[in-house]
Amino acid sequence: MAIELTVNDVRHSVEVAPETPLLWVIRDQLGLTGTKFSCGIAQCGACTLHIDGRPVRSCSVPVSAAAGKAVTTIEGLSADGTHPVQRAWIELDVPQCGYCQSGMIMSVVALLEKHPHPTDAEIDAEVTNACRCSTYHRIRKAIRLAAAQMQRRAL
Amino acid sequence: MRDNDLPKAGLSRRDLFSTAAAATGALVVGFWMPQRAAGQMTSPEGATSISATWATEPDVKEINAWVVVAPDDTVTIRIAQTELGQGVWTSNAMMVAEELQCDWSKVRPQYASANRDGREMAPEWTLQVMGQGATDPLGGGEPEFGHRSRTGVEGIPNSLYRRMRTNAAASVKDGRYYLQLAGAEARERLLLAAAKSWGVAVEELSAANSVITHRPTARTITYGQVASLAAQTPHPDPERIRIKPPSEWKLMGTEQKNLDVPLKVTGKTIYGIDVRLPGMKWAAVKTCPVYGGAVKSYDFERIRSEPGVISAVEIPIPDPSLIRDRVFSGGIAVIAESWYQAKTALDKMPIEWNVPPAHAARNTANMRAVLIAALDQPGRVHVNLGDCDRAIAGSARIVEATYSTPYLPRARMEPGNATVLVTDNRVDIWIGDQSPQETRQSASRITGIPEQNVYLHMCHLGGGFGRNGNGPQAEQSIYIANQNRGTPIHLLWTREEDFIGTTYRSMGVARLRAALDADGWPIAMEVRTAMDEKAPGAIAAFDKASRYYVPNYRFSTHSATFHIPVGTRRGVGEPAHDFYRESFMDELAHAAGKDPYLYRRELILRTDLPYKADMIKALDTASEMSGWGKPLRPGMARAIALEERGAEGGGHATISAQVHTVSISRDGELRLLRVDVAHEEGFGLVNPLSVKKQIEGQITWFYNDTMLQECNVSEGRISENNFDRFPLSRIRENPPEINITFFKTGHWLRGMGHDRGTSVQSGIADAIFRITGKRYRDLPFRNCDLTWS
Repeated sequence: MAIELTVNDVRHSVEVAPETPLLWVIRDQLGLTGTKFSCGIAQCGACTLHIDGRPVRSCSVPVSAAAGKAVTTIEGLSADGTHPVQRAWIELDVPQCGYCQSGMIMSVVALLEKHPHPTDAEIDAEVTNACRCSTYHRIRKAIRLAAAQMQRRAL
Repeated sequence: MRDNDLPKAGLSRRDLFSTAAAATGALVVGFWMPQRAAGQMTSPEGATSISATWATEPDVKEINAWVVVAPDDTVTIRIAQTELGQGVWTSNAMMVAEELQCDWSKVRPQYASANRDGREMAPEWTLQVMGQGATDPLGGGEPEFGHRSRTGVEGIPNSLYRRMRTNAAASVKDGRYYLQLAGAEARERLLLAAAKSWGVAVEELSAANSVITHRPTARTITYGQVASLAAQTPHPDPERIRIKPPSEWKLMGTEQKNLDVPLKVTGKTIYGIDVRLPGMKWAAVKTCPVYGGAVKSYDFERIRSEPGVISAVEIPIPDPSLIRDRVFSGGIAVIAESWYQAKTALDKMPIEWNVPPAHAARNTANMRAVLIAALDQPGRVHVNLGDCDRAIAGSARIVEATYSTPYLPRARMEPGNATVLVTDNRVDIWIGDQSPQETRQSASRITGIPEQNVYLHMCHLGGGFGRNGNGPQAEQSIYIANQNRGTPIHLLWTREEDFIGTTYRSMGVARLRAALDADGWPIAMEVRTAMDEKAPGAIAAFDKASRYYVPNYRFSTHSATFHIPVGTRRGVGEPAHDFYRESFMDELAHAAGKDPYLYRRELILRTDLPYKADMIKALDTASEMSGWGKPLRPGMARAIALEERGAEGGGHATISAQVHTVSISRDGELRLLRVDVAHEEGFGLVNPLSVKKQIEGQITWFYNDTMLQECNVSEGRISENNFDRFPLSRIRENPPEINITFFKTGHWLRGMGHDRGTSVQSGIADAIFRITGKRYRDLPFRNCDLTWS
């Protein structure tokens, strides 16, 4: 059946079984491969994207749950990689292999929308993505940097 | 340069380029965007990057196999190792660019062609570097160029790009001679070309930042302007080109941000899983969860009419001779229009396995019992200094401890995958692979197509942690594609299948026994370790000489044969053996009533090991950084340990020490609060930023090994096969404070990416002991009672 999706402000009509996880529609039918597959059971967060601004693990969300809603992926975060979180990630050279980082960045963007000045406890509670290279040390610093830059931008 | 010869499957070169663009996200439901066809994109910092990483034919003639300079001064540097997070994309480029003296902001890494490596021999001048009879002027140890296996399994081949393996944390250690030389040769030829075009003596020219200056007249010309001439100007005497010692480095040794990070924060990096080809079909795979098993029967008819399903292919047990004699399993692949359709149908297909009964009878408990029993067998004695038995028999104070470590996989984030197109006379493989020279051979052996017609299109890897190229994902995909010639097949493992398709670090046990004198110093130490006999790294940390002085010392290895395929997980033998050794040193210090830092220090001081001053420097620096000895509140403790690789020898070595500050609440919640790291830099680190990142990451890696991760065997199969039962630590568990101090030493390092941070294991074990009074010796500690009152 056809499902109407708005992904990164572009409307799509995709022919797909409604129970298909959103991840596979995004990656294989829309060709947006920045969102990654890793565990398939909503554990690791590599597939994190936003539905109506909320972070979800798209490997375990049926595409039907996103019908008529606004989906944002890493490709839609900024036109040119200049979102403050992306800039902070570059500044602190956060990624190693980088495979988890799309999902990580999407979780952090959602964190900062909810808590513009997050405490350590808020970071710990909201950023539950796994990074096997263990870039957490730099991620925490980059979250602080991004928060400061977003505050400056808001002033 | 034949990587873009046209495959015979109706794919044009333009299709392949378009595919690169598609994988960057430019594809909208089957609509190619030709303006993105070259895969070019602009990074946030304004630099142009190439999101397709694999070798492509340059528009201009190369200067040498590593360096292409375009008329606009863009410098393409070919990288023969695989970027998997260790920073080789940047550090290898830095080694070439240091000598090339080009504008670093104009550098674009690109993978070297493994196909070309199979056709061409290395230039003679790259063979005349240190390790080939020449001496390192700094006397700091030489690369191990000894063997020249064509596939790169052993030593460093003399094919074009020499070593294309990415393993043993050796990309800098082994590559720096010929990578620096490649940059220097290109620079010299650019200078010769400029001299020729101006009609002046080359001695009157200098090169810096991609600009050549004629000093007497101050005329300048850019590399891009003379590159074409340089490409046609051979160097008359390349053997005379010398490379810069560390004292002359300008770029090497500085912190450089990794060149691929802008792609990684925008989702544009192309990993193997992101490859898309016109007409490509997907394969989902199930193999027998008991290694050595194969398909007994399956019923494809039951799923034939499921959406998207095309066919099924039975996969035999991959030829062990292609994958270092490891025996994986046979299985079945379902091919469908999309991967999710293939996987969904496969899940519904009835499959029966032929399982070797002896393998199915194995479980963690009986395997562990076999290893423990092996400790009492004669074993293989590697070192036997003095008379351990007599010294121990005559001693009043004996300390004995038995430790164990579990089976552990790499569990990289990107599940195994490869895209393969086989036609009648050619194989194309898109893959992130740590052993392309071996995969090239596998492709040839499986398809019967000559190796020189095998093309690997290298992608970044979503984690490595120990040569995951040696799982059978390439062999499985090549086999399936060979059954479907003309159709590109993208094989992708589920996470559960990835746990079957990986090799494991062997389960291991160790029994250490020491006799102490009246002052608490060891007079004899006996070390027995046991693991799977095929496991690499059996002699790590104990061989040749004890790192801590003891007049009677015996080290023997013992083994058993199991069916779990074992391999080179991050650090190979070092991490488990470091846990045994450093834990035991803590136990001896406590038995002696001495400070574990000063106890280690004194025992290293008494040795005659070549790098003992560096080991002491590491311990002293780490202890000072940590405030060692300053009081801590109840529930907190510090532990110290030495980390070394190669400290017993006189060549390459890597030496560091860490202090771990740990807290445990009364109800047993453990936190690693702070890690102080003193790390040598040898003559110099190529990219200190990448080294810091590697250290930070490995601290957490070994925290996972210490607290969380294990794989058990039940009825012959691995029980923990996804991230629910095989947990990965999260940011909330990460140490809030990591301090790293580098100190200079007088030798070359052995590598940075795999065995730093091993001391987190003994550090946490000793902190638990100090806080709770309980000594745990079996990793991981996740089920241990850590409460105290």
